[in-house]
Amino acid sequence: MSREHALDDWYPVADTVLPQIRATRLLDTDLSVAWDGETASVTGPDGTAYPAEIRFDHVWTCLGPAPRPLFGIEEADQPGRRRVPCGGVRVRCSPLRAVENFLDIAHFPYVHTGILGAEPHTEVFPYEVKIREEVDEVWATKVSFYQPQAAKSAGGATDIRYEYRVPHPMAAVLYKTCPPRPSEWDVIAIFVQPVSETVCIAWPWMALFDDTSSQAELVQFQQEIFLQDRSILENQIPAGLPLDPRMEIPTRADLTSVAYRRWLKRRGALYGALTEAE
Amino acid sequence: MTTFPVALAHDLPPGRVQRAFAGGRDLVLWRSASGRAMAWDNRCPHRGMRLSHGFVRGERLACLYHGWQYGTEAACAHIPAHPDLAPPATIRAAAYDLAEAGGVIWVADEGYADPPDMPLAVMPLRSLTFRCDLATLAWACGLEPAPLLFLPEHPSLVIAPNPLGPDRTEAHVLTAPLHAADRIAAIHQTEALRRLAEEAAG
Repeated sequence: MSREHALDDWYPVADTVLPQIRATRLLDTDLSVAWDGETASVTGPDGTAYPAEIRFDHVWTCLGPAPRPLFGIEEADQPGRRRVPCGGVRVRCSPLRAVENFLDIAHFPYVHTGILGAEPHTEVFPYEVKIREEVDEVWATKVSFYQPQAAKSAGGATDIRYEYRVPHPMAAVLYKTCPPRPSEWDVIAIFVQPVSETVCIAWPWMALFDDTSSQAELVQFQQEIFLQDRSILENQIPAGLPLDPRMEIPTRADLTSVAYRRWLKRRGALYGALTEAE
Repeated sequence: MTTFPVALAHDLPPGRVQRAFAGGRDLVLWRSASGRAMAWDNRCPHRGMRLSHGFVRGERLACLYHGWQYGTEAACAHIPAHPDLAPPATIRAAAYDLAEAGGVIWVADEGYADPPDMPLAVMPLRSLTFRCDLATLAWACGLEPAPLLFLPEHPSLVIAPNPLGPDRTEAHVLTAPLHAADRIAAIHQTEALRRLAEEAAG
C-alpha cells in the first residue's frame, strides 16, 4: 500500500554535475541512470524506460502510472544566485526521518556544535506552523535561532531567521537569513531518494548569494553538516518514522515535525513510516 | 526474569556511557559523576535516539540529539529547547534494576537484579566477546552453562558469561589476585579458550 502511494511521486536519482552512468535503486527497484550533459534516461532492470526530468541540478524520475506534479522553487532561477548541488549521502534510515531531521532546529547546539548552534543558546522560541491547504504544503514561519556560524558567508555569530517548507513527502526547503544580503533568503533544500523504507540517499542542494566562497568550500560546508546528521539518523530506533503519537514524545519545539507527521498520515504517504505502536 | 552480567565494574568509571545487552534488550549503561551505575532502554523517548551515544553531566545522562537530560531516577530533568519548562513526570527512560557484585555489573531484564554468590577476593581481568553460543563457550571451559564458570584447568579464572545470541557471548573474566606475569598468562589463557570455542563453533 505505502509503496503504491510513493510510486507516483518524483525523486532525485543523480545530480547533473558531471556526465555519468549510475546504477542505483529507488523504492526497492534497481535503476540505471544515464546523464550525458544534455539529456537523461532512467531504465529499470527489465528494460522499462521511466520518465526523466532535470530540475534543481538533479535527474528526477517517477516509477508510477500517474505522476503528481513536481514542486517548484522560485529562487532556483533568480539571477545572481549560486546553485550548489552537494552530492548524495547514503544514510541507513527512513527517508522520512532524514526529512524530519532537516526540519529540526533544537538539535543544532548538540549535533552541529559551534556551527549551527552552541550552548547555552539552546532555547527554541515560539514559531508558527500550518498546512497551507491551497498548495498542500507544510510551512513553518517566524523561526529564529542563535547561530555561531550560520553559513560559509557569515563572519560570526548571528540570530538567524528561518522558514521551512515541505512540498513533497521526501523533500524540504529551508529559507534562511542571507548574511551578505539581508533583504533576501538563502535557500537550502534536501531532496531525498528513498532506496528502501530504511535506506535513503540525501541530496542537499543550495541556491545562495555568496560571491566569495568557492563551490568546493560550499559543498564541503554542507557535507560536514550532513555527516554530523548521519551519525544521529543511523541511531534512531525504530528506523521507520513513527506516526502513532504514542511512540515518541514531542514538545513545542517539535511543532514542525508534528505537522509533518500528520500531513504524511493524511496524505497516505506511509513509505518509510510506522503507523502503529510496536 | 534473569540477571545478566553486562560489564566489569572497573570498565565503567564515573562519566562513562556505553552500550550493553541483557537478554535481548539493547541498553545504555552509564555511571554518574558520584559513582552510581544505571542501565536503561537504549532509546530516548523524545525521538528514539540511542542514549548510548549520549554524555554524562554530573548526575544526569544527556541525549546527543537534543540534549534532553535524565536524572538517576530515569525521569527527564531538563529539555534545553525549553530551559524554563519543568518536564512532565511522564517523560522517562525505561530503567532496569542493576547490582554491582564481585566487580561485575549485573542487570535484570525484569524485576530485581539477583547476582550469583561471588567468590571473595576476585579481581577484574578483562571482558571479551566469543563468536559462539554460551553452550560452546562453556564446553571450551570443560563445563555446562552456568551463571559463573569456574575453570577446572585454570583454578584462578572465573568467567561470568552473558549470552547475546547464537553466535555471540560476552565473557567477563575475573581472577584471583595475581602477579603481573601471571595476569599476562591468564590473558593468554582466555585467548586460547576463545580460539578453542570459536573453532568448535566453526
